[in-house]
Amino acid sequence: MDILSLFPAWLLEQGPAFVIVLPLLMGAIVAILPSRTLAWWAALIVTLLCSVTAFGLLLQVYSEGASLYTMGGWDPPHGISLVVDALSAPVLLLIAAMAVVTMVYAMPATIAEIEPKKRAPFYAAFLLCFAGLMGMVITGDAFNVFVFLEVSSISTYAIVAMGAARDRRALAAAYNYLIMGSIGATFFVIGLGFLFMETGTLNMADMSRILADLDGGSRVAMVGFGFIVVGLGLKMAMFPLHTWLPGAYAYSPTMVSVFLASTATKAALYLLLRFTFTVFDPSFNYDIVVVKYVLVGVGVVGMIFASLQAIFQTDARRTLAYSSVAQVGYMLLGVGIATAAGIAAGYLHLLNHAIIKGGLFLAMGAFWYRFGITRVTDFNGLSKTMPWTMGAFMISGLSLIGVPFTAGFVSKVNLTIAAADKGWWWAVAVIVVTSVLAIIYIGRILLAAYFGSPPEIDGEMAKRNEAPLMMLIPMWILVFLSISIGSNLFGLGDNFVMASERAANLLVGIGG
Amino acid sequence: MIDIFQINPGLWMILAGLICALVPKGDTFALVRKVFIIGAPIFAGVMITQIYTSQEVLAGQITIGGLELTTLRIDNLSMVWGYLFCLIAVINGIYGFHEKCRITDSSALIYAGAAIAGVFSGDLLTLFLFWELTAISSVFLIWKGGKRAYAAGIRYLALHVLSGVLLLAGAIFYAHSNGGDYSFNAIGTDTLGGWLILFAIGIKCGFPFLHMWMQDAYPKASITGTVILSAFTTKMAIYALARGYVGVDILIYIGAIMTCFPVFFALIENDLRRVLAFSLNNQLGFMVCGIGIGTELALNGVVGQVFVHVIFKSLLFMSIGAVMYRVGTAKASELGGLFRSMPITAVFCLIGAGSIAAFPLLAAFVTKAMIISAVIYEAAYNPGLYVIAAMLLFASAGVMEHSGIKVPYFTFFSHDSGRRVKEAPWNMLVAMGLAALLCIVLAFPWGGYQILYSLMPYEPNYQPYTVDHVVFQLQLLFAAISAFCVLKKFKLYPAEKRGEILDFDWTYRKLGLGIMQWIGAMWTRLSVQTKRLRERAIESAGRRLFQVFSPAGAMSESAPSGLAAVLTAAMLIIVLIFVYFIR
Amino acid sequence: MTDKNEPETLSRKELEERQNAHPFAVPFLWLGNQKVIDNFIWLPVLGMIAMIALGIVFPQAKPAPWDAIPGSWALIGFVAYSFIVLCAKPLTALLSRDETYYGEGGLPDPEYSTEHSSGDHHD
Repeated sequence: MDILSLFPAWLLEQGPAFVIVLPLLMGAIVAILPSRTLAWWAALIVTLLCSVTAFGLLLQVYSEGASLYTMGGWDPPHGISLVVDALSAPVLLLIAAMAVVTMVYAMPATIAEIEPKKRAPFYAAFLLCFAGLMGMVITGDAFNVFVFLEVSSISTYAIVAMGAARDRRALAAAYNYLIMGSIGATFFVIGLGFLFMETGTLNMADMSRILADLDGGSRVAMVGFGFIVVGLGLKMAMFPLHTWLPGAYAYSPTMVSVFLASTATKAALYLLLRFTFTVFDPSFNYDIVVVKYVLVGVGVVGMIFASLQAIFQTDARRTLAYSSVAQVGYMLLGVGIATAAGIAAGYLHLLNHAIIKGGLFLAMGAFWYRFGITRVTDFNGLSKTMPWTMGAFMISGLSLIGVPFTAGFVSKVNLTIAAADKGWWWAVAVIVVTSVLAIIYIGRILLAAYFGSPPEIDGEMAKRNEAPLMMLIPMWILVFLSISIGSNLFGLGDNFVMASERAANLLVGIGG
Repeated sequence: MIDIFQINPGLWMILAGLICALVPKGDTFALVRKVFIIGAPIFAGVMITQIYTSQEVLAGQITIGGLELTTLRIDNLSMVWGYLFCLIAVINGIYGFHEKCRITDSSALIYAGAAIAGVFSGDLLTLFLFWELTAISSVFLIWKGGKRAYAAGIRYLALHVLSGVLLLAGAIFYAHSNGGDYSFNAIGTDTLGGWLILFAIGIKCGFPFLHMWMQDAYPKASITGTVILSAFTTKMAIYALARGYVGVDILIYIGAIMTCFPVFFALIENDLRRVLAFSLNNQLGFMVCGIGIGTELALNGVVGQVFVHVIFKSLLFMSIGAVMYRVGTAKASELGGLFRSMPITAVFCLIGAGSIAAFPLLAAFVTKAMIISAVIYEAAYNPGLYVIAAMLLFASAGVMEHSGIKVPYFTFFSHDSGRRVKEAPWNMLVAMGLAALLCIVLAFPWGGYQILYSLMPYEPNYQPYTVDHVVFQLQLLFAAISAFCVLKKFKLYPAEKRGEILDFDWTYRKLGLGIMQWIGAMWTRLSVQTKRLRERAIESAGRRLFQVFSPAGAMSESAPSGLAAVLTAAMLIIVLIFVYFIR
Repeated sequence: MTDKNEPETLSRKELEERQNAHPFAVPFLWLGNQKVIDNFIWLPVLGMIAMIALGIVFPQAKPAPWDAIPGSWALIGFVAYSFIVLCAKPLTALLSRDETYYGEGGLPDPEYSTEHSSGDHHD
């Protein structure tokens, strides 16, 4: 491929390590940088470099196939390996790209939201969180997953808590997240322990091989599987375990909302796919039973309940947060269909939802930045005071609903088709119903914004006060992406569908 | 750069229609619209000639949401309909030249364009899109008929939108059972989807019991509106049948019944435009039957019949429309003797009537003979089809009754109504003249019907002008006219009376309405009785919902760490139960 | 226009009729003559007889069962036509209702409708 030849060979060769080590190291350096602007530049450049590298790795996977990187030259199963394949590479790029978008937006946003002396540490914690997420996705070692999970989680607690300068409830939310996240991580590591007992290895490929030899293994492996599913379920806000999410999304600093909403749960979902389809195998009875009944069950119930909750929220940020929980349900439904088409649809929705929700939270942040708006009732007339931001919000919202020519439509249609192919007509009905609920909760906000009139301040209509360019640019990049995927501009839609299909084929291919 | 030969020619007409909708009111601007309304179909026709080759042309593929749509498919079947629709759109445009109505102009263009685009669509989803667009754009033509047409228009719209929805549902089911393939080729009735699509088409082309929208709405539309409406919708449905259901046996019986039952209704109906609508239904029966037979001869007959049918049916609607334009009514009981004041229209009407009755040297003679012959030839293998052939002959006599005799006789001859009006406007005469000329040319034995033959999908080797064909057809027609004269002489021919003739639509316009009204009345009573009860229930349900879901509610408590931990444990137990015990 | 070659033998009524008629229709006004109408029947009857005779000479190339009877199509035409028309009376009795039956004002012909409406015909 032409573009691939533009990347220096060493970058591609060392890329897998580079995308983790660079942000980890720079996190430490940024923390002690004296200047806020310098810290921002450093963080931006790190994320930019990482996304360029991730892009190169993605292209490499597509042209040359999956690659295995051995840390320090120690071969697996004893050394730590990093795996870049069709499943992990798109998620890597997604996380890195969303980090860039977030960083661009963070420039004006941190000024408003973070106390001056905390800004450099904020960027450092952000980079650590970023490094943790990248590491979770790329590593081929199960224990390493836990380590990176903790790295990202702990730094996330810290940056969520920094929202306290804006909203004191952020402290409670961060505490809540801390407790729940720790429970999740503990469950995960307990599950790993059981697995280690059963297989005697921590390398995922190795585990997979041994488990296949044991034909699924004994009850120890089963219990380990249960713990891992629940632990990851907690991290990705699977329905009844989602209670930490609304607070964390709503009260954290706005750029943290953007980044968390579009990446954190996605990385956990990625891990769930890894564990249920490659480490364990759907041909094991207990695996497929959980995938088919538990994941689909909680997914569908979550879709409906969280959508209902989203309708009743007064705080628009919480509406979006509950909507995220519902969207996780869509992805779980796709995974639970367990056919190549179903997984591809779930995976595609993972990518698309990150773009959509990122755009929505960016717009929410801009509303807060200009007017301090968070409540739905305060949206009145925003289309007149902030037309560009509201336009981005509207298009992303329509995409969330699944209007044709937007990204949400593509993944919902694929999911519907996959469900229909499987003969799950009830699932089609649920998708339709929840889409209607989405129309209600998004429509409620749009109605206020487009048909309400701006509030009067001292007897005068509020004046137009558009968000700064640094916020508008990332917002509209995401909106543009969403439309491009939906209308297949520049072949983007096809590329996204192709990426999801490749990922699904990888899972189903290995899974028999 | 987009290749303009990739664009479905119907879209040009839709575009022209949209432009017409934006052209301001006023006489000079009306002229601009007329340029569009006559020019756009000509342009679309030229585009078809440019795109059409002897091979099937598939173009205009677009992908939406992972579905590959083929928006343009021109082959030797769809091409016929395309040319025909362009031709008739031009004639309609000339006929409506005097009318300065923006809505009529633009909706006529969009409607015709949608019909053309629908015919050229290569997959079921594109077809669905234009299927609905024809319904939505044409309803304005009905509403231009005035206040009385409003309810009929709503019923028309409801049935046609229903038809579209059925088509979509059928397409989805069909593609599902067919490996996700939405392409529009032979469908057949092996699958549920196939049946649903057949039902959708059945509504559009007036299968028995699904037909009433036609006789309900067409006579209530504006004068030009009826002429335009009669040409497109049903023929588009015939195209869909000819594409998807060739040789499906049930169509033979449906078609035969369709040819026969409208005959009786047409006889006792007083409104001549409604008579023509029944006649339209009866002609469609011939085509449906021919498609059901499905032999090469039958399909050639159907294609030819569609082509000439659109022309002579328009001619009849145009002549009655011209009369209505001048006199103000189309009721047989109020007309008569008009040949004295509208002789040219009368001649055109007679040509149309002769064409539909299949007089030798006039349009339908060749094509109807092909369909009936195809049935009789097939009957050699399946004697049961002789019954069908006899039904078609019976219906031919019926056509002679309602369209061949009744329409021209009661309008232009019969007892003199004493009305002396002007001849039709020049543009109507030109349009009718063109159609009449085509009726003669397309059946002309020496080089005329061969033009029609060149459009047919299979190589035609049928000789229409043999002595026996001509003689036996004339036997039938002369006998029918003789019977008319005899019955008239013995005063057995019923006088035209004004009245509303009940048809199947009674079930929903009267029975259904009555039931709904009864339910409504009962509901009102019931709701008065239970008002307090309901109010209380809704209030408490709303309160509960709010209590559960609202920010302060049980589901959204902000610090439920303890609860969440319990939930997590519960979740683990559930997962473990599944892991252990569900096999 | 019509007075150029107007014969002097015309009655007043005929003259009036000529004046009111469209110029193209003038040569055909005899169509309205009662005698013509009464004797019109001979045209189709003679045509039918001629065609039946011809039909015996030139039989159907591919006959249907009923083509064994001479003049089969004439018979079908005559019987079918008569049957249809004779059905009119019972059908009218069964199905015909007043024009206002559905309460939607019947069909759009303002001047003649049983309901009030503004006239809409064009001169």
